[in-house]
Amino acid sequence: MKEVLLLALTHVVTAIRERVTLFWFLVFPVFMLVLLSLIFGQIGQEGEIHFDIALIDRDAGGSDPAGFASMIVSVFEGLAKPQAAGQEPLFTVHRPDQGEDPEAFLDRELTALRRGRLAAVVVIPPDFDAAVLRGMGPSPGGDAEPAKLHVYMSRTSVASGMAAEIIGQVLSEIDREILARSGRFDPTAGVRTETVWLGQSDEETSYVDFLLPGIVLMGFFTTGLFGVPGAILFNRDRKVLRRYWVTPLSVPRFLAGFSLGHLALCALQFTILFLLGRYALGATISFARPEAFLTLLLAAVTFMAFGFLIASLARTANAGMATANVLNMPMMFLSGMFFPVAGLPTFLMAIVYANPVSYLVNGLRTSVGVESGSFSSGLVIGVPLGWIALSVLVAARKLKWDVER
Amino acid sequence: MTAFRALLASEARILLRDRMALFFTLIFPLIFILIFGFLMGDIGDVSQSTMGVFVAAGADRDLLDRTLSTAGSTAIERFESLDAMQEAVTDRRIDFALSWDGSALRYFYDANRVQENYAFQQVAAGLATDFDLRRQGATPAISVEPTDVGEIATTGWFNLVLPGILAFSVLSSGLFAVSGHLTAMKERKILDRLIVTPMAPVALLAAIAVVRLVVVYVSTLITLLVGVLVFGLRYDVSWLRFAVFVACATVGTMGIGTIIALLVRRPSSASNIANALAMVMMFLAGIYFPVEFMPRFLRAISEGLPLTHMANAMRYVTGVMDMADTEFWAITFSLLGIAVVLFPVLARYVVRPLRR
Repeated sequence: MKEVLLLALTHVVTAIRERVTLFWFLVFPVFMLVLLSLIFGQIGQEGEIHFDIALIDRDAGGSDPAGFASMIVSVFEGLAKPQAAGQEPLFTVHRPDQGEDPEAFLDRELTALRRGRLAAVVVIPPDFDAAVLRGMGPSPGGDAEPAKLHVYMSRTSVASGMAAEIIGQVLSEIDREILARSGRFDPTAGVRTETVWLGQSDEETSYVDFLLPGIVLMGFFTTGLFGVPGAILFNRDRKVLRRYWVTPLSVPRFLAGFSLGHLALCALQFTILFLLGRYALGATISFARPEAFLTLLLAAVTFMAFGFLIASLARTANAGMATANVLNMPMMFLSGMFFPVAGLPTFLMAIVYANPVSYLVNGLRTSVGVESGSFSSGLVIGVPLGWIALSVLVAARKLKWDVER
Repeated sequence: MTAFRALLASEARILLRDRMALFFTLIFPLIFILIFGFLMGDIGDVSQSTMGVFVAAGADRDLLDRTLSTAGSTAIERFESLDAMQEAVTDRRIDFALSWDGSALRYFYDANRVQENYAFQQVAAGLATDFDLRRQGATPAISVEPTDVGEIATTGWFNLVLPGILAFSVLSSGLFAVSGHLTAMKERKILDRLIVTPMAPVALLAAIAVVRLVVVYVSTLITLLVGVLVFGLRYDVSWLRFAVFVACATVGTMGIGTIIALLVRRPSSASNIANALAMVMMFLAGIYFPVEFMPRFLRAISEGLPLTHMANAMRYVTGVMDMADTEFWAITFSLLGIAVVLFPVLARYVVRPLRR
């Protein structure tokens, strides 16, 4: 037992001392967790998202402070101020300088928009106030045309599309305000709108809660995929393993120590990611459930077995690492770990269904309550167990524990 | 010149024999494109979404139908019971749902679709506003006319992702030419043997650069072709700018690889650092996620990364992003400048025997 524990300790210490291993084992999952939380966790949240836009008021009557054009300008100017200390304002609004030709300004800003330097340009056309009044007055032919506002955006930019959506909502609110002031709309008689979140709780899952189980599994996956063949094959090729075999240590005991060390590394990785997610990024999910623990354990063992499978099939350490590299991205991205996979073409769905990561990601997310189980629990357990069995079988027949003489 | 020709032939043979290197330079970008093309093709695009609708008995169905007729391309699926509709949302047979009971509009979302709900909520907000106005017999006082200023019809965010991946391929190829290939030659003492011949270090660097350049051209062209043929992406490539940019970017990133090779003690560490650096840059350079979605400090970091500017320049030469011509040439010649400054350093300090 002592040699098993010593081997486990050696495996952990070696992994931590090796800076490259440390990067992929710890730094990269932490980087991904923080980066993706910062990017996707804030989409649509005021104070966290910011756009540069331009606003041109070309209405001759826009100088009337009670006018509609002035109302729009003042709303956008309000949105250009931070809503709370330390927050970014929703917009930085670029306006023409005093005396600047509005046409020249518009040309410049449209060029900036095309070049990705601006998210949108809002133009209040000439005679806007009068057009609003005309639109609200009685019309002989039925409803009069509403006054038009131009919002220039670029479909090549996702940010521009989002900015245009937000501007549309702001203008829609202004429209309701104008209608309310003119007595054509009663906001107090507006229809009630409710949002119902369907899931294990009655709130929307936060992005970090959704992301954390995926990142934990990504960490386990890369540790198994790169760590296991790396440790076995490099030690074999550098004849380190040969030194073990001249001692009374047997292969099963070596495997027991190695596996224990691998599981300890996964536990360490999980602890660090969980603490970071919980205390720095505000994750609220709990892994303290038997099904979550068992899924994590199953994942760590599956990915370790997968690493042995690669080590068995690769002739050299470099070939093993190359194979791991080839499999890494497709297996991660075709599992639903980061992006939804529903709607992929059949040939890619075949990979999704054969991929053990798909079942483990779904199983872990379901067990912590951030996903409804797309796969039955039989599949969540059965498919990874099948991969473990296949890997063990191949490793038992093919894995070479020493370099060929 | 003889030395250069011999080295060129040997470098080409090494690359052609190295199946793994060929796989990573030619096939791997294609795998990326195929996976991301299908995964990201319609991200944020609600035009293919389906909304379930349930109207309770006695509620004004006509009013809702008139409102839904303005729902754009969102498909509508009607349900006879609220429970069946909620089940369809949780089973993801539909994307989100709306019920109208005569007093309230209720929108139902799957709480776990965290990446998509924001887009569905945008559609819902528009419908609710429209419904509210219609219900009170009011017509909007102002209307918004969105105008696309893009000069090129794009097929979504993936149209911009692909040139970003091309830029990443160029970066990887240049970085690893020095921080992978050259340092491996050094570690395996192949450089020791070459240096004792009359070969000039510059001839070796030129041979490596030329072979890498050919591979990068072939790889980027195949990737572009797959994007066009498989995903129907549209590009208007300025071939002259493309050719000049790829050449300058390849040698420029070889220069950046030089810095890594100089900073590390063990040559083998160079490829590991280059790998880690490339991966970090890939996620911060706005290749997969728009830079505008990042917090301010990450946007500032992104602005300082060469890959951010390389991706934008590649988008410009493939015609999916506008850029001032002077900015494009500034990026291109900056990369060339890095190569001009660092190649002598590379020849002097990297192409030399491993210290013992």
